[in-house]
Amino acid sequence: MANLLLDMITTSAILFLTSAGLLVVFGVMKIINFAHAAFITVGGYAAFVAHEIGLPPLLAPLFAFAVGAALGAVAEWVIVRRLYARPLDAILATWGLGLILGQLVVLGFGRGVQFVPPPVQGTVAVLDTEYSLYRMLLILIAIAVAICFTALLNGTRLGLSTRAVIMNEELAQGLGINSSRVRLITFAIGCALAALAGALLTPLTSVDPLMGLPYLIGAFMLVMVSSGSLPALAVACVVLGGLQAIISTYFGSVLGGLTIAVFAAIALRLRPEGFARA
Amino acid sequence: MKHRKSTMFLAASAAFLAGAAQADDPIKIGVPVGLSGANSVVAPSVVQSAELAVAQINEAGGLLGRPVELVVADDGSGAAGAQRAFDSLIFSDQVDALISMQTSAARNAGLPILSRGNVPYIYTSFYEGGSCHPNMFVNAWVPEQQVPPVVDHFQAEYGAETYFLIGSDYSFGRGMLEFTREYIEAGGGEVVGEEYLPMDGTDWAPILSNLRSSGADAVITSTAGGAPNVTLTRQMRGSGVDIPYANLAVDEGTAGDMGDVATGIYISASYITGIESDANAAFLAAMAEHFGDDLSTPNELSVPQYEGILAYAAAVEANGSTETAGIIEALAEVSVDGPRGTIVMDHQRHAPLTMYLGRVVDGGDVELVTEFDAVSPGEQCPDL
Repeated sequence: MANLLLDMITTSAILFLTSAGLLVVFGVMKIINFAHAAFITVGGYAAFVAHEIGLPPLLAPLFAFAVGAALGAVAEWVIVRRLYARPLDAILATWGLGLILGQLVVLGFGRGVQFVPPPVQGTVAVLDTEYSLYRMLLILIAIAVAICFTALLNGTRLGLSTRAVIMNEELAQGLGINSSRVRLITFAIGCALAALAGALLTPLTSVDPLMGLPYLIGAFMLVMVSSGSLPALAVACVVLGGLQAIISTYFGSVLGGLTIAVFAAIALRLRPEGFARA
Repeated sequence: MKHRKSTMFLAASAAFLAGAAQADDPIKIGVPVGLSGANSVVAPSVVQSAELAVAQINEAGGLLGRPVELVVADDGSGAAGAQRAFDSLIFSDQVDALISMQTSAARNAGLPILSRGNVPYIYTSFYEGGSCHPNMFVNAWVPEQQVPPVVDHFQAEYGAETYFLIGSDYSFGRGMLEFTREYIEAGGGEVVGEEYLPMDGTDWAPILSNLRSSGADAVITSTAGGAPNVTLTRQMRGSGVDIPYANLAVDEGTAGDMGDVATGIYISASYITGIESDANAAFLAAMAEHFGDDLSTPNELSVPQYEGILAYAAAVEANGSTETAGIIEALAEVSVDGPRGTIVMDHQRHAPLTMYLGRVVDGGDVELVTEFDAVSPGEQCPDL
């Protein structure tokens, strides 16, 4: 039972980390960044490169965050900026961007599987069981990311401008807020969070050119039921992630894999605003 | 006897006529292989070993005085690509034989085209067993050969009675584990859990929790190669599972790359690079010399490809021509002395193989635990 509880919490934490970046971009810019999966992959490879050049394992996620931010800023500047008025075209463009990033990764590193040694190994005694130490750490990291982002949004001038742009972009522009700068920074942070998640996943998974793809659909569903709100995303991750762990445990992982998509659809049917406050 | 003599005479004169018409025309061997898609990681090593086999045959004067040429086509690791590859190799390049390692989906899609084109086909990939075609021979393992060494060893060495099986949700994963379950139960053991994760699934945690609470004596896994395998192994080690663990889908190279997390894993294979034989040493040296820095490490999928081409060469020499019916008769009889030992595909189009049970030791090397001679493939194609 303790094991199931821990599975539920850690699954939620992983879902939160892998969908936070997508939510940030959707919340501010009202576009879905379909290159999200590719940025998760980029983060995994950034961790691999960090290991190759001898950075300490603790710095690997930060390195990935920086790489993701830089690439995200360039992508916004070159591609996404032109498409704010055309959200459907933005889907196409970001999907294409994802394909290009994936192929660049293949060109640079090959199709094969790469390995990053995990920073911590083994288990830790929690409740009345032994549980993977790294998965326990992911809970703390997910909470830390949530706190940092909330603080950024509510405690800084950039956050104030961002919230103004979210509420009413024209009015914010009228007040002298440079909304295109806000968008650039937001997109960069969204991509950076995806890359951070990719680096954090490396101890649990392999690093390969498609490593981000399995997380995209889940992240997309979770963002859809959260209406761009970070607290709502946290709630959605806990509820749907917990359900996924329960169903996987008792009915098999094949059905477990359908959980998020099915229950997200049900949630939206019952309550169009999903887990967000109306 | 008289009848046999006259057919031999006919075959010989046909070969003579054909030889006269095309003395310098190369004998073409088609290799439909997954240069893109799931098999793209292993495909380069398969192509390299095919290239070495052909180079060695040509250095020794070719076959029946004709040079041998390799035609490689990408099958995309799947059914649609395989249909295109088989079509173009058989009807446009007019190859004399197909010899290749492919996914089961690609092989199955290609077989109807093989019937139309009527060329011999040597399948060089291990697979889930039971695929039969009059023109097809298989020189790699089936579950009947790979699974028993693992289970027998676990029972003898650890007294394991209860087993937990984990796989990827696709035909090879399920096929392997279904056979494993039958084999365990036939030997008096018990399977206390059998769970599958979808191919694109990444979170093994609930399955691993069930594994831990099942109290099984040993765990056997059969996932898709590459990412799912690495993901499962890492998460299994992270969750503190320390019962005997056999991985039916990991190859020596991947196990080595995984490093510490792979330590202690049992693997069962018909080829490991550490086989101590003159043939294997000569093969590894020739590969290293031929490809230098570009060498892709020979493995369980590339070595049968090398031996498959040698088998075809022996069949052509024995038959005296490349004519299909004779080649198919000869392929069931010729023996090849290759890196894996002496191999004859005389068991319903499949081959008895020496199987090696290895264990990954610290540093990623595979240590040979024990070997099982001439493991029979069992009843694969009773109608052929």
